[in-house]
Parts: sequence; C-alpha cells; structure tokens
Amino acid sequence: MAKGSISAALTSPNNYFEDFVPGDVWQHARGKTVTEMDNVLLTNLVLNTAEGHFNEHLMQTAGKGIFARRVVFGGINLSIVIGLAAQDTGEQVLREVAMDKVRLNHPVYHGDTLYAFSEVLETADSDRADAGLVRFMHFGINQDDALCVQAERLVQMKRRSHWAVKVS
Amino acid sequence: MSKTIVSELRARAKPWPRGNRYEDFHEGQDFTHHWGRTLSEADNTLFTALTMHYNPQHLNVEIARENGHMRGIPMTPMLVFTTVFGMSVEDLSEGGGPFLGVENCVYGVPVFPGDTLSATSRVISVRESAKRPDFGIVTWATRGTNQHGEEVIRFERSNLVSRRKSVEDSR
Repeated sequence: MAKGSISAALTSPNNYFEDFVPGDVWQHARGKTVTEMDNVLLTNLVLNTAEGHFNEHLMQTAGKGIFARRVVFGGINLSIVIGLAAQDTGEQVLREVAMDKVRLNHPVYHGDTLYAFSEVLETADSDRADAGLVRFMHFGINQDDALCVQAERLVQMKRRSHWAVKVS
Repeated sequence: MSKTIVSELRARAKPWPRGNRYEDFHEGQDFTHHWGRTLSEADNTLFTALTMHYNPQHLNVEIARENGHMRGIPMTPMLVFTTVFGMSVEDLSEGGGPFLGVENCVYGVPVFPGDTLSATSRVISVRESAKRPDFGIVTWATRGTNQHGEEVIRFERSNLVSRRKSVEDSR
C-alpha cells in the first residue's frame, strides 16, 4: 500500500509482522474479571443452550454434576484470552487463519480474573507480499496462577514495510 | 390456590427432554443443528467490545474497507466460532460434561453483517473416560456455512459427555 494508511495512524507502531521473533514471550497489559454479565450474555447471545452456564439453581441442586455452580462457557474464556492478547497480537491482523491445540484446562467461575500471555512460535511469508504469517501460543491464567486456557493461533499480519505509512 | 396449581403441574407434567447422552453417539453419525443465525453488526460490536478484541477492522468500517472488506465490518472470528459452536450444543454436548478442547480449527470466508450461519457436525470418535466412569469422551467435526453454502469455519471439538445411567441416578 503506497499511500498512507488510516490504520497506521490509529494503532500501535510496534506490533507489525517484523516485530515478532520466535521464542519471545509477552505478558499482555490488562486482565479481565469475568462476570456473570459476560458469561450469561455471551452464552445466550451465541445460542449455547447448555444450562450449566446459565441455570444457577440447577447447578446447586443437580448433585452429581462436576461443578456445583455455573461455570463460564469455555468459548468465552478462549475469546477473552485471545481478546486480552489482541491489541498486541491482533491490531495489525488482516485475517485470522486457524486455531489448534485449544485446551480448557481449568474451569472459570464468575468473579475469576483472566490474564493473557503469548509465545511467538514461528513466522513465515504468506500468499501476499504486504503481510506475513505469525503463529502464537496463547495462555490464559487466573488470579491464582492456574492455567485455564491454552490455544495456538495462526494469523496473517500486516508488514510494517507496506502498511506503516500514516495518512498525512 | 397457586400451591394447588404447582402440585398439579408437578404431578401431571411429562419432561420434554433435550440433548443427547454418551450412548446416543456413534462414529460417522451426522447432525444438522437447529435454527441458523443471522449475525448483525450489533452482535459483532457487542462481542468484540466485551471480549476486548482490539483489532480495529472489527470496530471501524473505514479500516475494514482499507483492509479490503468492501461489504463492511467482518465479524470477529471468535464470534463466528462461538456462534457455530453454540448452535451445535443441544445435539452434541448439552447432555452434560465439560468442553475439553478444539483441534484443527480453520476459518473460511469472512462473515459480514446480514450473513446467516448454519452448523452441521459428524461424530469422529466415541471412547470411554478412564478417569470418570460416568462419562465418555466424544469428538465431533463441526462445520459452519453461510447462506451461500460457503464454509466459514470448521473445527474438531471434544467433550466429556455423561452417560444416560449417571444422569438418571442423579434425578
């Protein structure tokens, strides 16, 4: 892209394809306390019908269940952890390509706080000259350092050489 | 008076069950999941903002266009994933048991406001759980398509699924 880009003026200068080095591990700036609002709203929004995420009475009385209270839908834990990592590892992403090895290692309950870490696994050229591929392993831990989420994520990311010219 | 109505309901009502149990699954079995869902720009804004997914092409239509998306703001891919997953839950995992993991998730064509997603799945494997005798582990290949039949996502998911017997015992 020869002309200046709008996004270069509105995003960070240090998270383009060229900035990611395999082996680097990053701790992202913010955590998020996952509330009942997040879990019930998003679970119902995406039509997930599993009551274990939104029927507190059932969870307290069902007896033989694995959990004794509502547990946050794992898809939301994964989305929040990737979200917490997204300003650093997603602002310059043109396309989310794939995810793999997603593990929901530990339950998340209302009031738990998630923090995100990312390891750069590899970088490669892509099918377009103005972007490359970056593979990350994202990790989500709770307030007690329990590993709750792990996921590999492959993205196609803008190259600074083509996209970092600001609109003047 | 209302107490009488409630005890009548308790006495007369037949349960209308939903969801499948471990015993209901066999390899190669296909499911066409219910409903479909048309995603709106509001769905995307809510999901992207609540999950703090700060890639501006999912929040700023000018940047989406600059990135080549002439139909507007593409839905954040995690919304596509969780919506296709959500529609599959009644058939696959509502029977009880936690979601363990996902392998080989690949995104297809982007999804724009007004597109309608549908979900189908096939059972890949059914096996016992060594750790939890009341549950088995089932793996499904799930596919999401848009209104033109184009694939928007596919992934393999595994869950612990409770056995029918253990569910009946808990009642």
